[in-house]
Amino acid sequence: MRKYVAIIISALIFIVLAHFFITGNAPINYLTGGKYTNPITHEQANQSVPQQYLNDSRKDTGAPNVVTAIVVEYRGFDTLGEVTVLFTAATGLALLIEEYRRKMEEIVEPNFIVKIASIVVLPFIVIVGTYIFIHGHLTPGGGFPGGAVIASGFLLLLLVHTTKGLPEKKLSITESFAGMTYALIGLLGLVLANEFLQNYLPLGIFGTVFSAGIIPLIYIAIGFKVGSELGGILHNLKGVHEE
Amino acid sequence: MVSIPPVLLIAFPLFFAFLAPLINMVSKKAVKPYTLFVLLLNTLFASIIFLNVSSGGVIYEQLSGFYPPIGILLSVGYLGAILALLINLLSPIVYISYFGDAKNSVKFSMLYMLVTASSTGIVITGDLFNMFVFFEITAVGSYGLVASMRTKKAFEGAFKYIVLGSVGSAFILLGIATIYGYLKTLNFYDIALRISSMPPTARLMAFIFLIIGIGVEAEIFPLNGWVPDAYEGSSHRVASFLSLGPSKAGIYAIARLLFTLIPIMGGFELALLLGLLTLIIGELAALKQKEIKRMLAYSSIGQMGLILVAFSMDSRMAFVAAIFLMISHAMAKSLLFLGTRNYTVGSLKNPFVSVPIFIGVLSIIGMPPFPGFWGKWYLMVDMASQGFWTIILLVILAAIVEAVYYARFLFKGTGTEKSEGISKSEMTAIVILALLLVLVGLFPQYIYAPAVNAASSFLGGGP
Repeated sequence: MRKYVAIIISALIFIVLAHFFITGNAPINYLTGGKYTNPITHEQANQSVPQQYLNDSRKDTGAPNVVTAIVVEYRGFDTLGEVTVLFTAATGLALLIEEYRRKMEEIVEPNFIVKIASIVVLPFIVIVGTYIFIHGHLTPGGGFPGGAVIASGFLLLLLVHTTKGLPEKKLSITESFAGMTYALIGLLGLVLANEFLQNYLPLGIFGTVFSAGIIPLIYIAIGFKVGSELGGILHNLKGVHEE
Repeated sequence: MVSIPPVLLIAFPLFFAFLAPLINMVSKKAVKPYTLFVLLLNTLFASIIFLNVSSGGVIYEQLSGFYPPIGILLSVGYLGAILALLINLLSPIVYISYFGDAKNSVKFSMLYMLVTASSTGIVITGDLFNMFVFFEITAVGSYGLVASMRTKKAFEGAFKYIVLGSVGSAFILLGIATIYGYLKTLNFYDIALRISSMPPTARLMAFIFLIIGIGVEAEIFPLNGWVPDAYEGSSHRVASFLSLGPSKAGIYAIARLLFTLIPIMGGFELALLLGLLTLIIGELAALKQKEIKRMLAYSSIGQMGLILVAFSMDSRMAFVAAIFLMISHAMAKSLLFLGTRNYTVGSLKNPFVSVPIFIGVLSIIGMPPFPGFWGKWYLMVDMASQGFWTIILLVILAAIVEAVYYARFLFKGTGTEKSEGISKSEMTAIVILALLLVLVGLFPQYIYAPAVNAASSFLGGGP
């Protein structure tokens, strides 16, 4: 029964997605290569790419942080790939040690100071991590460092509760949804604005949190994804305590 | 005709690979049909794109809404379309062999989808750094796949692969940094246009860095130490998958480098030398092997060398030959890895196993009317017309060595393992692969026409 439900759900998702791309609004004919102007003739060719990033990034993306503008907007497809590299590594690790996790021989009780301090420090770690990835387009940082900071909070939890693991299932669900959100933001760009990962949201007021189009959305997805992924890796690397 | 944005070849498998853990939570049994469905979907897209390209020429797709070289560009050329179709057609067929297997890990299926998508990405991208990202995904996914057997040999192979692969990645990055430092661009067309303005030493440096990095994935001679161990340690299905996807993408990248990206003085001569060394060392090492998977792995190395020799001839006919050799190698080697897991002469009694294996061997050693024959034939004709008699002699010697060890294998079996019998799904997969080999062999004209287009486009400096 469940098998059929799963197949029907995936087929429905596919039909909805495929509908847009095959019959949907395709004003540009991919056959004739109308999307691409040859660098030889186009005015933007034969110039320094980094110089153009520096000159145009504010106008093009609405993000004060040039690095973010390059990573998420200009070269967003590479970033999707980089997220996938991390995902692949975490998946490979889980494939290898998931069912064969090392048995822990002895339990070392954590220090009293660590125990108490973790309760105080943990909320701040999570807040800092979240702040970093939500403000990725304004301040240095972004989804990857923000997620890593949150994962350090997970590490603290694992150190304090030596006999317990992390909620594996919840992490996995978060990871899946965050990844799908990123891919869907890209696919929506194809539907709403003609190009994969193209910005289809208003740029907003320069320098505020709600600005720069899809950049904050993508960075929030990356933050959740990296945090849950690194958490999953830590969980897998920790030994199993058997009663 | 419908037209499909090529980015879907990458975006859909990524999306569905992210979704796979959720499917696994709903129902564990649904994972395999689901993965097969995703792979078949990609086959459909790849065939539509192939038809579009062969009728209408190169497809360009700009991403993120910025003009290249500011944004990223995908460019599906003739060779890219042929290889994308080849990879996406064969990967579901090899995946069929997993049905009926007791092991049922969703992680494995996810890695399978990701590596398929990223190998496709390498052949359709038009951006140097984007290619590097896809190389990373392919490599990292392959490490996991190779080690997934969890035996000592699997870990040995995977570890060697990781060491060489990481060093290779670093070299690719160095090469990209060199080019970007001088030309301030990452777009293939832009680089090809302005490469001559780079100082010759820097150009040579970038070329060597890139060829070292990509050579690891393409199984080129001094960089292929991981190949025998990784193929021997991994399960026969993973070996089959690795020989159809990542290695083809790697050799495509080398061809792209040679023809359009960094044409340097002596580049083709260097490639010819590397190709001949790879060919001869691979075939001679295969002759000495007793273990069937190691033998096939060394034979793969030899075949990659032959493909590189064909590319380095720098002529239209040899280029067509290289494409046929790639098709033959991808199909026949996947077939042989799948079919010969426990090959003994006794298992010849089953015609559904013995006939496909025989066809695969015939295609690899270049007997008519299989694609391997067309590849070797076109290559010989071309080299004869150019007068490279020494090279012809070497290639023929390598082919004889190849024929010897394959004949030994056919008549003696491997004899090292007990025959467990072959599952129905594996049999289905190898029968389909054998049928494909026969079809391509009997109707080479359908491949020949796009292959000639690919050759003209590459020799003219296009994608």
